Amino acid sequence: MSHLRHDDLVLHYYGEDGPRLLEVERHLQTCSECAIAYEALARTLGAVTPPEFVETTVDDLWAVRQMLRERAASRAPKVSAPFVALVWLMPLLYPLTLRALFAGGRLAQEHTIATPLVALGLAWACAGPFVAAFALNRMAVDFEWLSSRVFAGGAMVASATPGLYLLVARVQPGLVWWYAALAAAALMSLAPWPSTPRSTKYVLVVHRLSAAVITVFALTHVANQMVGFVSESSYAAALTFLRESYHQPIAAWALLTSSAVQIVTGATMGMKKVRPGAWKDNVQAISGWYLAMFLITHALAPRLLNPGVAPAPAAVIAATQFNLLATARGAATLPFLLLGVVAFLYHIGTYARLAALAYLAEAQVRRLSYAGVLVAASVVVTVGLALCGVHVIR
Amino acid sequence: MTDGDLEVFLSLVERHRRYLYNLAVRITGNAQDAKDVVQECLLNAYLHLDGFEQRADLRTWLNRILVNCALDHLRMVRRRPDMNDPTPITDIADVAVSSSPDPERLAWRADWRRQVSAVMDTMSPLERVTFTLRHFEGHSISEIAQLVGIGDSATKQHIFRAVRKLRLALEPHWSGR
Repeated sequence: MSHLRHDDLVLHYYGEDGPRLLEVERHLQTCSECAIAYEALARTLGAVTPPEFVETTVDDLWAVRQMLRERAASRAPKVSAPFVALVWLMPLLYPLTLRALFAGGRLAQEHTIATPLVALGLAWACAGPFVAAFALNRMAVDFEWLSSRVFAGGAMVASATPGLYLLVARVQPGLVWWYAALAAAALMSLAPWPSTPRSTKYVLVVHRLSAAVITVFALTHVANQMVGFVSESSYAAALTFLRESYHQPIAAWALLTSSAVQIVTGATMGMKKVRPGAWKDNVQAISGWYLAMFLITHALAPRLLNPGVAPAPAAVIAATQFNLLATARGAATLPFLLLGVVAFLYHIGTYARLAALAYLAEAQVRRLSYAGVLVAASVVVTVGLALCGVHVIR
Repeated sequence: MTDGDLEVFLSLVERHRRYLYNLAVRITGNAQDAKDVVQECLLNAYLHLDGFEQRADLRTWLNRILVNCALDHLRMVRRRPDMNDPTPITDIADVAVSSSPDPERLAWRADWRRQVSAVMDTMSPLERVTFTLRHFEGHSISEIAQLVGIGDSATKQHIFRAVRKLRLALEPHWSGR
C-alpha cells in the first residue's frame, strides 16, 4: 500500500473510512512516515475545541416571540397591484413588441444606423422573464390570497410569453385568440393552486436524468446555430446530419419521453423554491417554466405547422432561420429561440455549478461561473447575430 | 396562523432553542450572528410549519433549517465584511475562563483560540458549516450531506479543504511549542 493521502488521514481521524478502516490502521502501524503525519493531524484537530456552551436568556426568548409575532403578522403581504399589473402587462403588450421588432428590422435593412432599434425591440420582446424574475424577487407569494395567485399566474405567463404566443399563433392565428388565451390563463390562476409535493428529492433525480438526454440534443443544436454565424451552408449540412440522427425511432422516442418527463417533473417542483430575495432560485424556476413552454411549442410545431407534410429540406430551413426579421412571423420566432438558448444555458449552468461544488472550492467555482457567464453571453450574441442574418461567410 | 399557534410552536421549539443557539454559535463564531441565525431559523420554521413531515424528527428538521440560515448568513457576511461582529465567541469564552490560576497557560489558550478563529474565518461558508458539523457536532458525512443539501463527495471535499486550512495555519504553531 502506498503512503496515505491527506484525505485518507482525515477520513480515518473521523472514522469515516468505511471498509478501509482496518487497512489504513494496519498501514499506520507499519509506516512511520504516515504515522507521524497522522499524529500531527490528530494533535491539531484534537486541539481545535468548540467554544464553551453558552446559555440563552429569557430575554432572548422574549425577543424571538416578539420578532415572530411581528414578522408572522406581516408575512406575505397581499401582492401590491402595481406588481400584478406589471407581470400581466408583459404578455398584454407582447404583440406590440413584436411589431416594434419587425419594424426595427425592416428599417435596419434599409438604413444601418437603425440597427440599435432592433436591439431595443429585441430587448423589449425578451423582457417578460426578466420582469417576472424582478417581481418574484420582490413579492412573497401566499396562495391563500387571490391577488397572490393572479400575480403568480401572471409571472408564469410573462416568463413563458414568447413560447405561448407562438403556440397560440400556430393553433389559431390572430390577436383575438392571443387575448382569449391570456384571459383563460388569468381565470385559471384564480382557482386554488395544487400544492407541490413535500419531498421532491426523487423527482429532482428523474428531472436531472431526463435533462441529460435533452442537453446532448440541445447543445448540438446550439453549437450548430453558432456554426450558422460562420456560414449558412455549413449549418444546413450539419442540420441534415442531425435530423437524420434524431429522426431515428429510438432517438425520437428518447427525446419525446425526456421532454415529457422534464415538463411533468418540472411542474411538480413548480414554485417550491421561489421566494423574495432568492435571485438564483427564482431565475432557475423561471428558466424552467420557459423551457417547458419551449419544449411544448417545439414538439408540437411539426403537427401544427405542416401536418402530414414531409419536412422541408435543411437548406430551406436555414434560409428561413437566418432571416427571421424578414417576416412578421419570423420576428416572433427570434425572441422565442434566443430566450430558449438563454434559459437552457442558465438552467444547465446552475446544475453544472452545483456539480462542480462537489469537487472544487467555492472560490474556484465562483471564478468558473464568471467564465461560464462570459462564454454563455458570447454564445447568445453569436446565435442572435446569426438569426438576424449576420454571417461571416455569405 | 393565530397567536395560539405561535405559543404552541414556541413551547415546542423551546426545548431545542439552547441546542440551536449553541450550534449557531459554533457555526458563525460569534454571539450576535448566532442570535440572528436562530431568529431567522425559528421564523422560517414557523412560516413553513406545514412543510414539516410528521414522521421526521423535529430537531432534525430545525437543524436543517438552521444550517441553511447559517449558510445564508455566512455568505451575506462574506459579501459585506463590515457586518463582522468585532467580538468573536472565542474572546467571550476566554473571559469566562479567565479565573483560572495559570496566566501563561491562559494566554497561550487565548492565542490558540484566536488563531483557530482566524483560520475558521478564512473558510468558505460550506467549508465552515461542514467542518463544524463534523468536528464539533459529530455528525457523519452522510448526515451532513442531508442537512446541507449537497452530495456526500461534496461534503467530504469541503471538510478536506477546511482541515487542510487548519493544518497549514496551526501545525507550525504546534511544532513551535
